Amino acid sequence: MSVKRHRRRIGVVVLGLAYALAVWWVFTRSTPLIQQRPVTIRFAHWQIERGPPDGIAAAIKRYEELNPRVHVEQLLIPGATVYPQWMRSNLAGGTGPDLMEWGSWLAGQRDIPARYFTPLTAELAKPNPYNKGTSQEGIPWEKTFHDNLLVPRRDSPEPGQIYAVTISEATVRLFCNIKLLQQCTGSTAAPTSFDDLRKIIARIEDYARRTRQPIHALAGSGDNGLWIAESLFSAPLMGVSRSIDDKGYLYTYNRDVLAAYLEGRWSYGSPAVSAGLRLVREVTGAMKPGFLQLHRDDAMLEFFRGEAVFIYTGTWDATSLRRMAPFTVVPMRLPNVLPSDPEVGRYIIGIGGEGQGETSVAMYLNRYSEHKAEALDFLKFLTSVPGNQLFTDASLWLPSVNGVKLPEEIKDFRNYQLGHSFGQAPYDIIGSEVNGEWKRHFYQLVGEQGSVKQFATALDEVMPVAIRTDLQNEMRNTLLLVKPQDALIVANAEMATATPTDGHYRERQLEMEAGQTMSEGLALQMKLVLDTTTIGKR
Amino acid sequence: MLSGSPGPRSTRAILLLLLCPLLAAGAASSADLNEAWLAIANSHPKDALRKLDESDPARAVQLARAVALMAQQSATDDNVRAAEKIFVELATGNDEPADEAAYLQARLYQLHYVQPDYAKAAELYQALAQRHPRSHWAQLGLVKLALLKLYVVPDTTAAGSDRLAPAEALLAQISDPLLQRDLNLQIGQAGVALKQPLARFLPHLVAADRVGGITATAREDLIVQIGVLSMRAGDWAQAKKYFERYLVEFPNNVRAYDVKLNLDDAIRHLAKRAGS
Repeated sequence: MSVKRHRRRIGVVVLGLAYALAVWWVFTRSTPLIQQRPVTIRFAHWQIERGPPDGIAAAIKRYEELNPRVHVEQLLIPGATVYPQWMRSNLAGGTGPDLMEWGSWLAGQRDIPARYFTPLTAELAKPNPYNKGTSQEGIPWEKTFHDNLLVPRRDSPEPGQIYAVTISEATVRLFCNIKLLQQCTGSTAAPTSFDDLRKIIARIEDYARRTRQPIHALAGSGDNGLWIAESLFSAPLMGVSRSIDDKGYLYTYNRDVLAAYLEGRWSYGSPAVSAGLRLVREVTGAMKPGFLQLHRDDAMLEFFRGEAVFIYTGTWDATSLRRMAPFTVVPMRLPNVLPSDPEVGRYIIGIGGEGQGETSVAMYLNRYSEHKAEALDFLKFLTSVPGNQLFTDASLWLPSVNGVKLPEEIKDFRNYQLGHSFGQAPYDIIGSEVNGEWKRHFYQLVGEQGSVKQFATALDEVMPVAIRTDLQNEMRNTLLLVKPQDALIVANAEMATATPTDGHYRERQLEMEAGQTMSEGLALQMKLVLDTTTIGKR
Repeated sequence: MLSGSPGPRSTRAILLLLLCPLLAAGAASSADLNEAWLAIANSHPKDALRKLDESDPARAVQLARAVALMAQQSATDDNVRAAEKIFVELATGNDEPADEAAYLQARLYQLHYVQPDYAKAAELYQALAQRHPRSHWAQLGLVKLALLKLYVVPDTTAAGSDRLAPAEALLAQISDPLLQRDLNLQIGQAGVALKQPLARFLPHLVAADRVGGITATAREDLIVQIGVLSMRAGDWAQAKKYFERYLVEFPNNVRAYDVKLNLDDAIRHLAKRAGS
């Protein structure tokens, strides 16, 4: 009895103490009981599909356990229409997040890296400390990425600098409702060439006609239409790109393609380019009428309803497809257009390649961030073997980093096609103005009223001015970075003299001097073309 | 009265006390100057201007002020003119700030004024190189001058129609290996852009690569480029060497497939030559 009373007394005392502690805390501290972290970094991206937010959250959770000072806030901003405006207004207003996603294809946003981001080149040359004890220990950070950061190197505003690191890897696939394919064609075999796919499309159309069902070979929308158009359009362009590769890069940058157009070395009416347009017309004909007005979500719904056998989209939609489709979805590669193709084969130089995969979701460090060191440290964790593994496991998106184990569901996405790859982009997205004109006139290519000739003629009327404008913009964007570097170079030189033991400033000065000269050279080359050509001059 | 009397001792003490803030101000001035340079290095030129005393005649302070003025956003010709006025004054000296100022004055005419004046910029680079040829800023100016001569103010009197010769003449005046590398690379790239004979510019690209330190895409491009251009020039051994190096350094790149095909081609040619 006395033991029971004793226990009750202890309970009351403990409760009283807890209450007193809570009262003391409330009146003496303004912060929550769990200490607020002194540093908050904001991480913004547009990957709001199923998967990435969970993957990033998993990495943040672990990072915050390891770094009690830092809180990482994930900002999910819808991509297509909101993100570009949101990004620019926040950066211009000085309220930009510490880390943010950027892509060179965002219309009208090419100047952003030069204006607002800071290069990571020097950091990328050192090993990532979070890789300690993994297969990537001691390897320079840059070399731990599956593609050595191909896209950030290619999209860099300075040829000698790398401005971003990637956290995932993406490719495009033809996702198939395998049961519907069997039903329509009597077979589940994946097409092995574009001509093969052509025949499958014909059989599906025949089945839909015979059974009077609203089934199309490809789920249609403006987005999905443009993605498949870009993939196919590239096939005959490889020969054109090879013919204009004066520099011997085995690769053409957009500025080279723009310059070659102004020099009269190709046009949309050229036979090889028109062959690409023909492929685009053919494949978009397998989508439902009016697809151009629809969005990618509409195409997903069409596919989920069983009204399309295939949907051509990126592996970024794979998690959504897997989780939401009421049938088995099998990813297939879009088959290659081969030199033996009966329609356009004579313009094909060989099999088009995907390389060994390009890593994506490129994250940039805001030059004006107040917590650069912490933001950079979080990037290192997210792109370390343990951090990227957490991201991959929770998102089911491919990792960007070597040494991360692939979950069974996504192993097949790394099955890449080896082959030629000559260009930075197909000729519809070599510049913002070009892409705008392409989209504005695309209706002249597709549907019953459209034709290759009509579209090519329309493009060759409007593109000279658009292409000249895009090359001028490329030149201006290059100079945007060159100009402010004069002050930065001298400032770093002065800091190097004032702090002779800190080699960082001298290193940065010399690195910038080299990069600036390269960028200036590029800008002058573009100026030379603009000054010495007449196509598109008003 | 003069020695040991309390009067002068207290005067000295008072004087010392009065001097203290001045000494502190001197120390702070140097600290402020470093903070100003740091602010400029971090792209905050307005912060730098706030830290600098406009009336301070120290040359280092004036240089920082002028640099902060030219770096201001949005860039206006008024700011650039104000910066130039200071650069012109500083450039008459014989010290490091003089060379930095002279170099930056040339940059203003090349890049910062709304309407560039390439001829004036070229003249200023040339003058700096003549005055202090060993200065880093003069040498960097020679690289920029060479770019101007390659593309916008070609020296038509030198070496006939050879567009690379004037830049090569400037290259010979540069002793800093990193700046030599940068100019070699630019002469090589200009050779392609100006459609010069391969044999004239390929050695410049190889020379740039030999120094090393070229990073990012520029490095990758240069390795493939030397391989391909060597192949076009019929130097199969050099082509093979560079293609092999590319495949070691960038095995996963999209270009690796074509580099491999070109390497096979180079090996075939070398074998054929060895056979014959």
